[in-house]
Amino acid sequence: MEAGVSGEGDEKVDFELPEIKYVCYGGEHHLPLIMSLVDQELSEPYSIFTYRYFVYLWPQLSFLAFHKEKCVGTVVCKMGEHRSTVRGYIAMLVVIKPYRGKGIATELVSRSIRVMQESGCDEVALEAEVTNKGALALYGRLGFIRAKRLFRYYLNGVDAFRLKLLFPQPQIHPTLLQAAQENSIQISSETSKESH
Amino acid sequence: MAAAATAAEVSIPLGSGDNSMWADVSLLLEDACSGLRDGELIHGDNFDLYAAMSALEIMDPKMDSGMIGKYYSVDEAIECGAAPIPISFDKTVDVQCSIDIMDHLLACEATWHKGHSLAQTVFSCIYILRPERTTRHALLHSYCRTTRATCKAVISVVSDARTHEEEDLFTTTYGLNLNGEDEKCLSILNAVEETISRKLRACRTSSSGIKSLEDIEPLQNNPALEDGYCRAILERLRFRKHFYHILMCLKRPHGRGMQLARKHIASCIVELKAISRPLRQQTIIKDRITSPGCQPIGFDSSLNTRLSASTPPRSINILSWNETIEYFLKLLQDLDIISSCSLDNSLEGILSFIVQFQKCQPDLVARAHLQCLLLQDRKLFGRDTIFSVIAKAAGLSEVAKNNEIENLECIVQLGQLVMNLLRILCTNSAWQRRKLGKILQDWRVIYIQLELAIRNKLGEDSVHTNENIYINSLKQILLWVEEQAYWIASRFLTLGFELELYSSNEYGMVYWYIYVVSVKLAEKIHHRMTINNRVKCRGKKKKVSGNDVPRDFQFPPAVLFLQSHICLAEGLAMMLAALKNEKTALEGRTPFNTDQERFSQLFELLQKAGFPDHISYQSFEGSTRDVTFSTLAMYNHFKDAQRIAKEVKSSFSGERERLSELRMIEQVAEHNSIAMTLLCRVGGSLDPSLKLSFEFSHHPHFATAVVRRSL
Repeated sequence: MEAGVSGEGDEKVDFELPEIKYVCYGGEHHLPLIMSLVDQELSEPYSIFTYRYFVYLWPQLSFLAFHKEKCVGTVVCKMGEHRSTVRGYIAMLVVIKPYRGKGIATELVSRSIRVMQESGCDEVALEAEVTNKGALALYGRLGFIRAKRLFRYYLNGVDAFRLKLLFPQPQIHPTLLQAAQENSIQISSETSKESH
Repeated sequence: MAAAATAAEVSIPLGSGDNSMWADVSLLLEDACSGLRDGELIHGDNFDLYAAMSALEIMDPKMDSGMIGKYYSVDEAIECGAAPIPISFDKTVDVQCSIDIMDHLLACEATWHKGHSLAQTVFSCIYILRPERTTRHALLHSYCRTTRATCKAVISVVSDARTHEEEDLFTTTYGLNLNGEDEKCLSILNAVEETISRKLRACRTSSSGIKSLEDIEPLQNNPALEDGYCRAILERLRFRKHFYHILMCLKRPHGRGMQLARKHIASCIVELKAISRPLRQQTIIKDRITSPGCQPIGFDSSLNTRLSASTPPRSINILSWNETIEYFLKLLQDLDIISSCSLDNSLEGILSFIVQFQKCQPDLVARAHLQCLLLQDRKLFGRDTIFSVIAKAAGLSEVAKNNEIENLECIVQLGQLVMNLLRILCTNSAWQRRKLGKILQDWRVIYIQLELAIRNKLGEDSVHTNENIYINSLKQILLWVEEQAYWIASRFLTLGFELELYSSNEYGMVYWYIYVVSVKLAEKIHHRMTINNRVKCRGKKKKVSGNDVPRDFQFPPAVLFLQSHICLAEGLAMMLAALKNEKTALEGRTPFNTDQERFSQLFELLQKAGFPDHISYQSFEGSTRDVTFSTLAMYNHFKDAQRIAKEVKSSFSGERERLSELRMIEQVAEHNSIAMTLLCRVGGSLDPSLKLSFEFSHHPHFATAVVRRSL
């Protein structure tokens, strides 16, 4: 879906990073804040059903950033089975212009990704416009690769990248794997010494 | 939920021909609203994300396109005078408006080609929707009919090519009727062209003082504008005529219409350039089309909203006049390139042609035409069976070609794969790359099946001479299959650069993989050429062709060509590895994963298919872990690349694309050699005032290391 995080903006607000409070989605009272941020900054119109779909089913994956009672950023996500993997999906990411370029978006996304990892996701995915340099740099720094290019994905004819982050899989040491294979082939009992 | 209130049935008069019955559900809605509290959500098995996103808020103009529609139906629009016939009783205004309409239609057509729906573009014109209405207006009628026939022809080609999986909006006509449109439109167009030509001649003879014998009614009222308007209309009619002819020529089987197509393309370009030139009237027209909110008469893109798509369509922007001209000019140039494709090409030549053609980023319509030209009736150019194409590519002798190999199940399937490959190579590069990665597994399966077939035959007791030929042919095909798979893998990797899929911290891994794949590809090509040469020499005549026959102890030019690429890839992989190894451990670390995960993602499809086998992140790490600038200084791969590229040029004299490629390789190699020498001298750590970046200034996928002073 979309991310509005490009660093250019005319008026910047002065703030210290510790002043930014990050909160997990806490209920219906957060919904209008999220909706107004996304409506304001992103070009695709979403119905209220779309928002509720995400925040009701996966409230633990959506976060809001506040600066002195004002909501300045949000991330909305989901997760679920996708073919044979469990996949997290970042649907919307917004930080209002005066607050961009300071790492708020990175922090919002990172929190969500951490919850996805802890919840058993194998990977995380999202789409971003090929022209959205800010988003591409942000996700690149977090370890996402550009898995595919989607031709004319957006209605304005712009292509998109499908970005994907693969979490490290628990590794079996190669020599143990080899030993296990040899064990299953050999009938005799002289195998275990080779594994170490 | 509360009990459903009864819905009163009301019949609301709609446009004629609509058979829907309407029921008033206001009470039902009220009950439903009170049935759910704020924050509650309906759960349903089939209420998934797609359903949620397709839901729309009624009366929100961003989603409810009915809010912006002016007329309820086409008939209502016509009744309200949205598309008058004639357009004006003042002939000059009528002509001017007709030209407006023709030009806007052209812009709509270009917009449709570019990926928007027919319903919102060409069929937003009421004159196009109701062609029977324009019979009294010869100019509009002929233009609209020919446009409809053209659209039908284009849809037919794109449907046949079946590339519309990637651009599925294109061929859907949503029930808009294009039946009955065919070449008859040309006779109508020709008649109108003839009439207006006479008017132009009459106007010119009368202005030169000669009295004409015939009494010809002028096109419009203003004698000073007659010449300009006649010419403007003729240019547009002729453009349409030639464009339609091009499509008909390219449709002809076996590529028979290609030469004639090129003639029509040339004429079409002449007319297009004339149309785009600003004449006095043209300036007025251009302003009228491109000025915002000023639409020519007879267009309404909201009319087809219920036909356009399953969800209400967002409003689209029709291409500007300049973009329209640019689009058609490019389309014509691309069709010209296609029409110049040699019908005598080998498969290798065709693959090379397609790859070269794709470099100019042709659009869907051009690419569909190329695909339909190459594959007709499951034959190359509608003429050569796929088996004969494969046999020739694999270097099978004539004797071998007559064997019963052709009917082997795995050979039949191989034929399918080759046809599929040609189709895929004609699609847009984003979709193409995904598909190329996926089909590699199919090529692996075929390889295994061929191996099995050979083993089975070898296992049989009696081995006649014929069986020998059979087995050897299968072996040759097997070799060719492996070579082709590496070719696909190589294209998959290099396309990633063109599509900007790699970020610079992945280049090292990518060049390393390109190096590994290219080495295998070169091996296979060399092997095939050696065997083919042996096969040829066994025959009575010894054919000597410059590129194929290796001189004693020398590699064939085709292999050396690849070798220059291999050296370049290896050089880049090592240089990037050294740079990475010299950096501090913390730089470039990502919080959630490591290079290993990214490696497995980038090359997943290649690894699954095993081209090559036994390649893993560990292999990459093993090759690059200990590379430093001091080890790098011991061997300059770039100098090798430069030398080989220079030496092999003479073998390709006359082959423009190969020479151009070799020149680019030389340039990249030279620049990188200098950069590498500099880096080795300073031990990889540059002066902080200098910045190193990798740019594609000399070659689309081999980067040049650039050292700049940072500001």
